[in-house]
Amino acid sequence: MAGRGVLGDGSAGADQWDDVDSGGMQVVCIGISHKTASVELRECLAFDNEQAVRLASDLRAHPDVAEALVLSTCNRVELYLYAANVERVRSQVVARLASIAGAGAGELETVSYVLAGASAVGHLFRVAASLDSLIVGEAQILAQIKTAHTQAVEGGCTSVVFNRLFRHALEVGKRVRTETAIGERPVSISSAAVELARQVLGKLEKHTVLILGAGEMSELTATHLVAQGIKKIFVSNRTFSAGQELAERFGGSAVNWDRLDEHLALADIVISSTAAPHYVVTRAQVERAMQVRKRRPLFFIDIAVPRDCDPEINHIDNAFLYDIDDLQAIVDRNKGEREKEAARAEAIVAEEVEVFEKWLAGLEVVPTIHQLRAEVEAIRATEFDRIARRLGDLDEATLEKVKALSVGLVNKILHEPTVRLKEIAAHEDAYVYVEALRRLFGLRDEGRGDGAAPAEPLAATAPGEIARNDEASGSDEASGSDEAAGNDEASGSDEAAEGEEDASAVAAPIGAHGARQSQRRGDAA
Amino acid sequence: MEHLEVIFFWSAFLLYGGAFVLFFYHLLAKRASLNRLAVVAVVVAWLAQGVSLVLRGIDAGHVPVVGAYESLSLAAWFIVLVYIALELRTRVRAVGLYVMPIVWVFLGVAWMHYHAPGRLLPVLKSDLVAVHVVVIFTALAAFVLAAGAAALYVVEEWQLKRRGFDAVLGRLPSLDTLDKLTYHAILFGLPFLSMGIVAGVIRAEKWAVQDWYFDPLVILAVVAWFIYAAFLWGRVVAGWRGRRSAYVALLGLVCLLFIRFVGVPFLSTFHKYGS
Repeated sequence: MAGRGVLGDGSAGADQWDDVDSGGMQVVCIGISHKTASVELRECLAFDNEQAVRLASDLRAHPDVAEALVLSTCNRVELYLYAANVERVRSQVVARLASIAGAGAGELETVSYVLAGASAVGHLFRVAASLDSLIVGEAQILAQIKTAHTQAVEGGCTSVVFNRLFRHALEVGKRVRTETAIGERPVSISSAAVELARQVLGKLEKHTVLILGAGEMSELTATHLVAQGIKKIFVSNRTFSAGQELAERFGGSAVNWDRLDEHLALADIVISSTAAPHYVVTRAQVERAMQVRKRRPLFFIDIAVPRDCDPEINHIDNAFLYDIDDLQAIVDRNKGEREKEAARAEAIVAEEVEVFEKWLAGLEVVPTIHQLRAEVEAIRATEFDRIARRLGDLDEATLEKVKALSVGLVNKILHEPTVRLKEIAAHEDAYVYVEALRRLFGLRDEGRGDGAAPAEPLAATAPGEIARNDEASGSDEASGSDEAAGNDEASGSDEAAEGEEDASAVAAPIGAHGARQSQRRGDAA
Repeated sequence: MEHLEVIFFWSAFLLYGGAFVLFFYHLLAKRASLNRLAVVAVVVAWLAQGVSLVLRGIDAGHVPVVGAYESLSLAAWFIVLVYIALELRTRVRAVGLYVMPIVWVFLGVAWMHYHAPGRLLPVLKSDLVAVHVVVIFTALAAFVLAAGAAALYVVEEWQLKRRGFDAVLGRLPSLDTLDKLTYHAILFGLPFLSMGIVAGVIRAEKWAVQDWYFDPLVILAVVAWFIYAAFLWGRVVAGWRGRRSAYVALLGLVCLLFIRFVGVPFLSTFHKYGS
């Protein structure tokens, strides 16, 4: 594909026969993220799922755009398009965004980025691998991409390329998570505390947490613990009412400050962040508690300054104490670790981009025609040799005639699809036909290696796809059949029966809509 | 046949070594695929070793428990069997880090004592002897795993206490998991050890072995039994937890290894395993 990797000459393709391939189509990413735009602007452009799908279908209505998907999270708003004429599309899309944001287009112009071709694919893969996230290695983005893709599929905004692309992106995200340690170690104080607790206690569901002091930090850590499945929570605070309030928020119970000792024996995790100027928990207290609790492990997280827990506690068997500095040191170390792992993740991304690009290149018309002819010719040659051997006693001239028959047969059969493919080559939807053809004839493509997402039936093609195919064939096909002239979607132009046939063939596995489509065609005929 | 048996033995030996390298590499730098590969290598090695033992048994015409070569190889095979069962159930792969070197030592020493398969001494021609050995090896396998988990526990606890928490530590199982693993393995192993000792005693009585109860090996076996019984008692009754019980589990293993590598070759009067 011409101009891949840069903002190529958008006008190429559609009207030039030598540069037909898939009509100069490219994967394009237009967006803003936490790296480029202020949170105010991102807020204005944040879409919920429904809005995102609506925007994507609007974008698809653009004649240069074949597929569209909107990814909107708190850290980024990105529009992914499979489109021709990148420059034209870009200015229109940015203008559209500007009108939504209410800001001037110029303002958006400076903070938005546009990527095309391999760099757009690479960007998506980096996003999925959470290399572009605010906190590198966070896991949420993968789920967000998955949702965005599912919604877009249901909304009929994607087709062959994006179904493949986003499945591939999810694979990349998963691969990076399993093969590198990028998301492995916690990089915030509270999550580091939870991680440590888990390293000591194992699964946290059945454990009990005691919170000393109703401060903000204890609340944050408690939130993390609850997310890990902790159910039993005690809150102890000097002022009982404040403790009660916090306890209620987590479905725990408040306990009196002077009953601390007996709760030390019950709890497995103690989070302490009181404002007390002296130690609140002493070694002797914990020794006593350990006796009562039969030496089951007890994990202290002291996030108070000055410290609440006597550091001596750490010397007791099966008691573990971490203060805020210890946790900070762990977090710092983990951040460094993540950066190291990010380099490995980048290598995986680069590898996967290459795989995807190879597949995408396979969607170009001319190589596909060559490959189709080559494969059919190979079949013909093999079959001919076989039969020639079997008819060994034929004379040269007859053999030549048999050979001519086989060659003629193949050429005749391949003639029509070749001509048709060349006709639609310039069209933005050509790749849909190419993909169908590749699949029907089982043409191999190098990009579809082991690591790549498996080929999926075209079922994922959304119902809207067929309508687009109709429009497509309606405008360009010149076979002069008026068979489907009554079809409202053909909008009065010359409708090619073959084109429609192809569209139905592509749509056949889709189910309901495909059936309806052929039904309608039947009616029209 | 003997030739084939040795080839299988060596393939197993090398594969166990490879598995250890993979386990270790995974611990240092997370590579999930290598970890899976390590487990596959262990399983393949175990099968190969099994074939080797079967060939040996057919060749010699008896269960391969005679002599250091056969008995150590069989013991290692049992250890790996228990490890694989454990791995399938709990996915505590890190224990492989510890089990593989032990298996390697066992097989290495076994190889040093390699001898051509031979006939049984008449005194060992008994089902009871086979039961005695197999049961004791099952106990041994469980205790080796218990000690493996205990060793990991001691290292991890020490790291956590001195706040050396890092990615390597994070890939190890939690302290709680290791603690329970040690406990369950010993709980599993002790009945087998008891059965093995009883079978041995019956055997000795039946054949009227003289002064069997003064044999250093028998005394050491009883000591080992008491160590593990103490472990369970401490755990259930006295509330021993964590490091203390881990030390006891390690002490038990030291006792067992002493029995095998000092007691059997140098001290015992009749546990000569056919040599």
